[in-house]
Amino acid sequence: MDNPVKIRVENLTFSYHQTPVFEHINLDFNAHAITAITGPSGRGKSTFLSLLNRLWESQPFAKMEGKVWILLDGQWVDIYGKTLSKPDLRRKVGMVFQTPNPLPMSIYKNMAFPLKLTGMTEKALVDAKITAALRQAFLWDEVKDRLHDSAFGLSGGQQQRLCIARALVSQPEILLLDEPTSSLDAGAASVIEDLLVRLKERCTLIVVSHYLDQVSRIADTALKLEARGFLPV
Amino acid sequence: MTRVTQQTARIVFFLSAAVSAMAAALVFGFLLVFGFPLIGGGEFFSLLARPWSPGQGLYGFLPMITGTAAISFLSIVFALPLSLGTVCFMGGLGPARISRLVDGFVRFMTGIPTVIYGFLGIFLLVPVVRTLFTSAGSGMCILSASLMLSLLVSPTMIIFFKDGFDSVDVRYIQAADALGADSVQRLIYVILPEAWPGIVTGIIMGLGRAMGDTLIALMIAGNAVHVPGSILDSARTLTSHIALVSASDYDSLAFKSIFACGLTLYVLNAFAVIAVRRLGRKRGPVR
Repeated sequence: MDNPVKIRVENLTFSYHQTPVFEHINLDFNAHAITAITGPSGRGKSTFLSLLNRLWESQPFAKMEGKVWILLDGQWVDIYGKTLSKPDLRRKVGMVFQTPNPLPMSIYKNMAFPLKLTGMTEKALVDAKITAALRQAFLWDEVKDRLHDSAFGLSGGQQQRLCIARALVSQPEILLLDEPTSSLDAGAASVIEDLLVRLKERCTLIVVSHYLDQVSRIADTALKLEARGFLPV
Repeated sequence: MTRVTQQTARIVFFLSAAVSAMAAALVFGFLLVFGFPLIGGGEFFSLLARPWSPGQGLYGFLPMITGTAAISFLSIVFALPLSLGTVCFMGGLGPARISRLVDGFVRFMTGIPTVIYGFLGIFLLVPVVRTLFTSAGSGMCILSASLMLSLLVSPTMIIFFKDGFDSVDVRYIQAADALGADSVQRLIYVILPEAWPGIVTGIIMGLGRAMGDTLIALMIAGNAVHVPGSILDSARTLTSHIALVSASDYDSLAFKSIFACGLTLYVLNAFAVIAVRRLGRKRGPVR
């Protein structure tokens, strides 16, 4: 049975320095599923993710046309429209990068960072949310005794799970992951794969990956990015 | 790179570093030697505390020390918010196109000769201060000089601040953006703490420039030789004092005293640098 659609991309065209990267893309992404995006390097897989949380907008010389809709509380919302602010969008659509990018702070402060941005200060509530997100990211047992140590003291795999947990603390509905295991060894990667499959309950996941075996292990749907457009795998 | 070129580069850079360190040490030595007649007699420290009155044989420069301290400190007080504000504007709060214009303008400002600032001060700023504050007399006072000086040192500070901002790891900025930080939050929580060493360096360079500048204070601080009681009083800095005395004199005891004056400026500057470094030492975030 197919899940309902969560993200709808409509006639999307994106160019960089006036060179088209995508042209007239129409795509649907199912809710509570993992959609994998594969394809050769340099075709714009990461760029495509950044169109879904508007992170591309900080780049000069980039231009986008078309629409991206996401389903929030039963309503289709145009993410480039006025109803949703960029910070709010990014709390609904979390992102995890290729290289783990904890901020230069303690584990606790990294986790509290997204909450601080929303003005949440009540310590008990913050602590509860942090604990819950760390548990969801399979990290709690490994860090519970050193929450106030630097995040840089964690291993690569732990740092990446911290970044996933940090994204989860805002309770996103969509999670974008840009080659989340490519900087990790096989053991750390497999923990993250298990985690992603588990997270389907809570979120809609889009994972960029160029490991075909990984795609076949975790993805419900796979798309291959070819010149300027997507093909089903 | 081959071993030989690497070795050569190392030697060349070592020599450059050694020469500049030596130059600073030589200047210090030179001041010590020429100021020796006053220092050797055990009079140096009493000079620091005495007034300047050559007619009565008093060659102290307490007034100039306070003048330098007041004018340079105050100019940094004015320049810091101005510079930090400009850099924040360029670092993400303002539109990119205008930021580039501002950047170009700031770099242009560093090239404007000091005397132009002095002129502007005399014809534009001093009359305003004179009109606004009746107790400022002619308008040539610490306030006028430090306001003008803050314009002079701001571009220097801005350039160092901006270097600090630019050195912030782009991954931190991306992380903050992706977590939903708006541009002000990104600035306060991520960029400013990371750019802190650059900000401290900028303050030191600005303070150094403010203390070392001669012309602005000479032209618009009024040059009175008494310890100022308020920022609306006229004052003389150590640098203006050296310029004034050496322009009119050559062989008197007054002339000899200006070496001690230079030495004082040197030491004062060194203390200021150390103080800012200590204050600015990063204590917070764990790494």
